[in-house]
Amino acid sequence: MWGPQIVAYACTYCSYPGADLAGTSRIKYSPNVNIIRVLCSGRVSPELILRTFREGADGVLVLGCHYGDCHFISGNHRTAKRVAVLKRVLEYSGIDPNRLRLEWVSASEGARFAQVVDEFTETVRQLEPMERVLA
Amino acid sequence: MNRREPLKSAIEELLDDVDGVLALRSTSGHVAPHLFCGRQELEELAVSPKYSLPATLRLIQAAHPEARLGIVCRGCEERGLIEMAKRNQINLDLVTVIGLACTPEEAEECRCAKPYPSVLVETHVGERAEPVVDQLVEELRQKDVAQRMEFWRKHFDRCIKCYACRNACPQCFCPECTLEEGLWVETGEVPPTYPTFHLIRAMHTAGKCVGCRECELSCPAGIPLTTLYALIREDVREMFGYEPGADLDQQPPLVLPVEVES
Repeated sequence: MWGPQIVAYACTYCSYPGADLAGTSRIKYSPNVNIIRVLCSGRVSPELILRTFREGADGVLVLGCHYGDCHFISGNHRTAKRVAVLKRVLEYSGIDPNRLRLEWVSASEGARFAQVVDEFTETVRQLEPMERVLA
Repeated sequence: MNRREPLKSAIEELLDDVDGVLALRSTSGHVAPHLFCGRQELEELAVSPKYSLPATLRLIQAAHPEARLGIVCRGCEERGLIEMAKRNQINLDLVTVIGLACTPEEAEECRCAKPYPSVLVETHVGERAEPVVDQLVEELRQKDVAQRMEFWRKHFDRCIKCYACRNACPQCFCPECTLEEGLWVETGEVPPTYPTFHLIRAMHTAGKCVGCRECELSCPAGIPLTTLYALIREDVREMFGYEPGADLDQQPPLVLPVEVES
């Protein structure tokens, strides 16, 4: 079965510890995901996401804190708006918007992290490899 | 209808109150922006073609912050002026606007949804033309994702990365541009690699683009950029209820927090 390359940007205060918890709790999740820790989900700029796609990632997952929990108060608010707009930009220019997903994962949600990653991997698996799309 | 004479008298009238009026001048067959400071210069006043004056106004204000200026504005230029004022690029308190409506032909050419100014001015020179529906936008909406990819790749592959779209854009005023950073857009590659260059620009103009079509007019490859930006503009309106250039009070949505029910 085709294994898509997934890049997950996880914020250092909520989602990365969440992923850590999934690991220490021995929860199994899709091995296709490559986690990159960022200081805040607000740091994940559209440029960064687009470059990730260009480098051949089949899916990009942006993980941040729930509303109200952001260490930087409104970093995740900005990401929420930015990702929503970027999904439309991708859709209009011919990249399936399902390749990009934003989810809120807190430090205590290890199981949720695993679930999000598995679901997203399955979604992306249904699509064509990015390499072929951009060829 | 002749718009030049009424425009000329409107500028003449305004020259009593301001230091200069920014409009277009035709010299030796070339039309360019010009700051009219005296009545005798007005013989060379030109009405068309369209050239975005707010970008020029910004440069003049940067050099002469105290100057009282007038500016001739079409519908798109007025919207551009408003968006620039919201981002502190120009000071509207010192600016008097003379409105100019586009002819139906000009509106048709620009696929313009609002070819006349109405926010900063009450009246304008010329008669209001009917709004035009962008057929290309509708056409693109009908396509599926793969067809859109084909459509845009065909256009983007002709890009020579001359940066004319960015340079002509009145809303592109950042002193440092992401499109010039090798980290995001590779240098030395023509056409620029998809999807970075064009989609970064599309993202950066979201919530800002007023649909003045300067990017498209200046593009030597004739890429229909306005269509992509128009689609995004419609979505920004749908998602955040924000229309760039529609009023002076509403803040740009992408920098504001999401309204969350607690």
